[in-house]
Amino acid sequence: MKTRQWMILNLASAAMSLLYVSAALAQEAAPTPVSPADAEWAEYKAVTTCAWCHGQGGNSISPIYPALAGQKAWYIVEQLQAFRAQTRRDPYARGMMWGMAAQLDDTQIAALADYFSKQTPFASMPAPFLKDDAAIAQGKSIYNEGIAASGVPPCAACHQSAAEGSEQFPRLAGQHALYTIKQLIALHNQTRDQVVMNGVAAPLHEPEMKAVSLYLESLH
Amino acid sequence: MEQFNWIQRSTWLQRCAALSVVLFGIMCARPAQALPLFARQTGMACLACHTVYPELTHFGRMFKLNGYQLDNGKDIQMITDQGDAQPTLGLPAVPNLALFIMAGYVSLDKALPDSQIPGAKSLSDGIQFPQQVSLLYGGKIAPHFGAFAQVTYDSAVDTFNIDNTDFRFAKQWVLPNKTPLTLGISFNNNPSVEDPYNTTPAFGFPYLPPEINVPSLASPLMEAGTAYTVAGPVFYALWNEQLYAAIGVYRNAPTGSSSVGNPITGGPSPSDSQTTNVVAGNNPYWRVSYEYDIDRYALMVGTYGLHFQLYPGGVPVHGLTNSYTDVAGDFQFQFIGEQNTATLKGTYVKEHQSLNASAAAGSTNPSDWLSQTAVDFTYWYQRRYGFDVGYVSILGSTDPLAYPSAPFQCIAAGNPGAGTCGGGATGMPGAYNVGVMNSFNSNPTTNAWIGEIYYSPWLNVKFGLQYTYYTKFNGAQNNYDGVGRNASNNDTTYLYAWFAL
Repeated sequence: MKTRQWMILNLASAAMSLLYVSAALAQEAAPTPVSPADAEWAEYKAVTTCAWCHGQGGNSISPIYPALAGQKAWYIVEQLQAFRAQTRRDPYARGMMWGMAAQLDDTQIAALADYFSKQTPFASMPAPFLKDDAAIAQGKSIYNEGIAASGVPPCAACHQSAAEGSEQFPRLAGQHALYTIKQLIALHNQTRDQVVMNGVAAPLHEPEMKAVSLYLESLH
Repeated sequence: MEQFNWIQRSTWLQRCAALSVVLFGIMCARPAQALPLFARQTGMACLACHTVYPELTHFGRMFKLNGYQLDNGKDIQMITDQGDAQPTLGLPAVPNLALFIMAGYVSLDKALPDSQIPGAKSLSDGIQFPQQVSLLYGGKIAPHFGAFAQVTYDSAVDTFNIDNTDFRFAKQWVLPNKTPLTLGISFNNNPSVEDPYNTTPAFGFPYLPPEINVPSLASPLMEAGTAYTVAGPVFYALWNEQLYAAIGVYRNAPTGSSSVGNPITGGPSPSDSQTTNVVAGNNPYWRVSYEYDIDRYALMVGTYGLHFQLYPGGVPVHGLTNSYTDVAGDFQFQFIGEQNTATLKGTYVKEHQSLNASAAAGSTNPSDWLSQTAVDFTYWYQRRYGFDVGYVSILGSTDPLAYPSAPFQCIAAGNPGAGTCGGGATGMPGAYNVGVMNSFNSNPTTNAWIGEIYYSPWLNVKFGLQYTYYTKFNGAQNNYDGVGRNASNNDTTYLYAWFAL
């Protein structure tokens, strides 16, 4: 048992250090602060185009598309750059965001990220047929304590106790459960490359992904 | 009875054009399809804009209404000396083109009578290879200007014709309450081409009807009755991705096989009494719809319609007109999941006809009415396997002048296909009771179930098997033409392949 806990801690700390490094790199690459003109451009694009899928103010209606309101700016920058470079390769990234991000420059990406990070997240409307209190309770346990038996570290160790994210880890609170499940599957199958999360998601089974996703959706 | 000569002397599409609007069959409408050119322009997969073509998603509706603008490549640019604030060119580096090809096989439940030889029969099936080849151009022309234009080769008439065409200007604003507003203009050639939903006729169900079929007597003018013979601007507004309102004005603009031309000049226009259904003056079209999105569901309710004045042909084009007022209500209920997509949609059109010109010429009642109800349900699994079940019902007033009960066709003795009966009737030399296209009780009621299964191994390759089952045709279930043909004899089995590249 001790060995297992030790492995979990090891994995968690490895994850932390790797992400610190990547976040530090992302921050280094971060452009200069957003000018008022760029902020105005970003608001215009967000309201008149991004909102078609991601909803007004980044609160998406369809759970196929992630809510962006209140997401950490550095994370949005990293993802938009990955879409533009076509290095994030999960299905909807390819089908939609590769095209959407193709023409964005770094200034625009920074402005869009800044816009969405400053929006107020609304509570997600849970998908009615996924409503499952037992699963939410299980998800809470996985989120806070991990799954010792399969070596899954507690999510809270990185994503913070209320899943609010940090300067190194993205916000997960209130995200549509269906979107989170899809991402966990993509990370598990490695159709989305993220070295730490590929490792974390590898031992996860779908019921566990569903549980933790439902718990995250219930947070606000 | 001169008007029956068209059956023997005209080709399929000329027949459609020659029919008065009340005789226009619903199957004459040609559909348009999803466009790989938009995928090329946006760099996005088909599923962004379509559940499965041609049905649009919310994203697809926004893309269309905002002028086909999203652009994945780098534009060729020019600015003035004043800088970026005064651009003069934002041209996509590659023109957005696409091609689609379609071939079909149709089998009728029962062969038609031979048109020349009493007692003989036609073949009961036919292949169209290709049925259609369309060249499509579309997407961004310049910032705020976009297009969707289609030229179609139609094997039934062996010509290229202009198909659904939509040139747009659209501009977006962010209102003080942070909601989006789009104002736009669409210049197009078919009322409802500008509309983003799949309940309106231009892109409605059935998406791919067979061209080898027996067209029913009538359908409302709104149902493609003026497609490609009119043109005009449609002004529209879209607020908050939800409320859409459009008003358009159409004028006479016949093209290709719909244009008889002017015999004096030999040119395509101006139209005179030689042309049937010349659209008179300015004719309004309107549309209002509201969409509510929740979870993965999109619900829309709307209304649309038109008020058109037409000269029926054979009468002076500065005199009495036939007036058509169509008022429609429609709904669409769309579910878009990862694995499953399902759509229930329906539309009801009621048409009032004041047929002053035709009535004065003694060819119709002073007024008639028609209605068309269409409901269908589509389901796709993984956007690969799908089916569609629909019901179409056309009802209308009985009019012995507009829908004569006489089942005969005129064939002059010794000169098959070229003569006339000279105003004669059954029993005159050369006339025989062919039936099929008439209504013995002079009523246009036609009810049909349409079922279709789809297989789409790739998003740009589709195979379909469609069956149309008539429970009533031209006014009756049995012996609708007075010479023994039943509604179910016109049932069609239609197998097709569709490729877009």
